[in-house]
Amino acid sequence: MRETRLWSLHILVIPIIAVLLGAHFALMHYAPVFYGVSVEEARDFETMIERGRSVAQLVIYILLLAAGLYHGLYGLRGIIRELPLTPALAKVVDIGVLLFGLLIFALGTYVTWWTFSFK
Amino acid sequence: MNSNKPTAYNNRLGIKGWVYAGRYSFERYLYLGHRLSGMGLIAYMVLHIIETANRMRGVEAWQTLMALFASPPFRVIEYLLFAMAVFHAMNGVRLILVELGFFLGKPKEPVYPYSSSVMRHRLLTYVVMLLAGLLIILGGSSLFFE
Repeated sequence: MRETRLWSLHILVIPIIAVLLGAHFALMHYAPVFYGVSVEEARDFETMIERGRSVAQLVIYILLLAAGLYHGLYGLRGIIRELPLTPALAKVVDIGVLLFGLLIFALGTYVTWWTFSFK
Repeated sequence: MNSNKPTAYNNRLGIKGWVYAGRYSFERYLYLGHRLSGMGLIAYMVLHIIETANRMRGVEAWQTLMALFASPPFRVIEYLLFAMAVFHAMNGVRLILVELGFFLGKPKEPVYPYSSSVMRHRLLTYVVMLLAGLLIILGGSSLFFE
């Protein structure tokens, strides 16, 4: 049951990633196509800080971080757990992936918060 | 021992099982591509989060990094990442559709020669991959020819 829930969540976060990652791509990588500004302008420090001060951006990026990291690391865990591991080693993989994900999520959230509260 | 319990350790083929296509051919290579692109994307995501933390070191550090990313080799890497993301997403759409039972046809009596579910959704596979290819080409034209 627990595995079913984890897998369902892995699938349920896909629409969130699709929408938010699409927006991220449009904003940062395809700015000339969607916003009529160059990629360099879109990635300029001042512009980036200005964008990062909005609550919408704060919420969107934290959501994208959580959804993306969960989807990716759950997939990675599945791939590693298909290898011929002993149950004890599989448990180590579970805990290791979880801790790694939490650490990266904390870093990403801190950077997003830092940008949001930049003076 | 409970035979219903998932036992990862009894998978005998290990990584070799990834590239052993058996009789599944095209879909099996998509499966391999899905895994490789997924691992590439999660590795990039982690690096991207670490790299964006560079902004906390100030304007100069940020601008230096962005200038590096604007260089031709990094534009190519960026495009490869885009291609991986598109492939992974489009193949994921196919997997979800098949997982939910779409494009598999109605259940039939198993009469020889048997038609496998893989063959029954082969057209969907081709259409989805064609779309992925088009998006990858279009994305490249926007990324390289502003």
